[in-house]
Amino acid sequence: MARDDVEARTSKKYVRTFIFSMKTGTPIEKLHVITKFFMIAAMSVLALYMFDIPVSKGGPDIIGLIFLLTIVFVLLIISGTSKYLVNSYLLLALPVPISEFIWWLFFDGGLPGAREAFYLWPGFFPIGISTVVLVLVFGVVYYRTKSFVIAIIPAVLLWWFTAMAGAFDFSPLTTWFRLPIGTTYSFTLPSWSVTVALSKALGFAVLIYTSFLFLLTTRDTEIAGAMRQLGLSFKKAFFIALIFRSLNTLLIDYENIRMAQTARAAGVNRKSVFSKIIDLAHVSIPLVATMIRRSTEMGVALYARGFEAAKKVTSFKETKGISYMDVTIIVILSVFLIYEVVLGHSINNLFIR
Amino acid sequence: MSEGEKAVSKTQNKYPWSNYTLKWGRGEPVSTTQYVLYAVQIAAVIILSYLSVVLLGPLSYSGISLFYFVYPFFLVFTMWWGIWGILGAYLGCVIGAGLMVGLGPVASGAYAISDFIPPLVAFVVYRGLLANRGIDPLWRDLTDKEIEGVKAKRVTAWILFIAINGLVVNAVSAELGVGIENYLGLIPPGAFWGWWAGWFFGDLLAMVIITPVLVKGLTGLVERQGLINGGWVT
Repeated sequence: MARDDVEARTSKKYVRTFIFSMKTGTPIEKLHVITKFFMIAAMSVLALYMFDIPVSKGGPDIIGLIFLLTIVFVLLIISGTSKYLVNSYLLLALPVPISEFIWWLFFDGGLPGAREAFYLWPGFFPIGISTVVLVLVFGVVYYRTKSFVIAIIPAVLLWWFTAMAGAFDFSPLTTWFRLPIGTTYSFTLPSWSVTVALSKALGFAVLIYTSFLFLLTTRDTEIAGAMRQLGLSFKKAFFIALIFRSLNTLLIDYENIRMAQTARAAGVNRKSVFSKIIDLAHVSIPLVATMIRRSTEMGVALYARGFEAAKKVTSFKETKGISYMDVTIIVILSVFLIYEVVLGHSINNLFIR
Repeated sequence: MSEGEKAVSKTQNKYPWSNYTLKWGRGEPVSTTQYVLYAVQIAAVIILSYLSVVLLGPLSYSGISLFYFVYPFFLVFTMWWGIWGILGAYLGCVIGAGLMVGLGPVASGAYAISDFIPPLVAFVVYRGLLANRGIDPLWRDLTDKEIEGVKAKRVTAWILFIAINGLVVNAVSAELGVGIENYLGLIPPGAFWGWWAGWFFGDLLAMVIITPVLVKGLTGLVERQGLINGGWVT
């Protein structure tokens, strides 16, 4: 590769990643892809373990999960991808932890402990923390989406979470004033339900945003380079790189075909689920045909460039060495894993006894 | 000619699909076109898995979709491209319906086993067993009355197709997938059968609607270009 070319590539301020572009020169960008993968794998194991500690052993490690979530958000900010995340995946992913909370609240039967009362409707409209949550969430989501329906659903849901616990609504700290409306409707749940449901919601948030951290800060070439470092042959490493490089192209193909079908009034924008399946069946033919045509063209291009005959190939420029920072992160996470998963300690227990 | 060779010869004369078997390959090295095609089809399954999970709305829960329309795609790709289709099904689930929707590598890697089993079983059953009994392993008998001069057994083909891929294998897949997620604490015990039913019927519906369209529209094209694997690898 010419020297000018190398300089031009290394002087780029942003580089393309799996689902976005990443600012170069940040501490996260400098990490080796193996470290990043170890990081998300370790965080996943920790989250899965922390939210699944049985009640008989002290219950889920909520403080540990909050700690993990904080680390993930700090890393996202450091990597310079937080703005993109806020604009796209933050809102898209938010319904998942909320839904997980609801699922676990009502479908996790057999939890021990006394039953506690929760409101469906407390018989009054509480003015307090819950109102602040309602206004804030509605305001932020409406500002981003300009859609009343999309804004009101998470706002009301989060408002209900802050108003449903009887203890909150009778505390002068959280409820400052009450407007009596209608009668009280309530239900009872085991006292552990909220803790378990909250830990699941936090755990899912950790899993989701850690995965995004990896996808937002990793390049396909880094993976191919790492495979070479791990001793894989060039053809195997290139095969893996080819899979990841094709993702974006295929997504663009899918969008183009879908828009072309819409332009031809093929009815691809019908709303019902059944109609969507039929639409997809129609989109699938050109999509697979395009995939085969593209593969044939790329195969010929590779052949023309002597891919089959190549004995010695230029290694990937993006291949990095393992730095002290990589080793430090791997050691810290390993210690954390041993402390929490192997030895069975809990960060909760450091604060709550 | 030995008894075995006579039997093979008899089958070859009887069915036009007898060159699609469970051998390792055609005995030729992988061409650059096949090399690229196997990689690109894996990428396609990853993208379709991702879309299957997110298309109904915001990111689906625990990587499970009530609308997993990639199921027929990786089944058909496996029938065409053998082990590469099976690999695509697994990686599609790990990356597209797992990592890309935020499930994390551990949970994704574990529950994706459920998408590895159906194409593997279908490939073995169709190519190893049913192909010799007059059922096309490329599933053209679902849509065509005749395949290269041989009358297709359409009713039998449809019954076997739904029984094997839609009911038996799909039920095993749902049991494994939802069971693993339940074991990992991703699905509450009380919601197990709800998720199970969503998985099972979502896959079944997509399979019955999309597979014939794919087979009718593309199998001929792929076969004419000589891109269908004779065995597991090539």
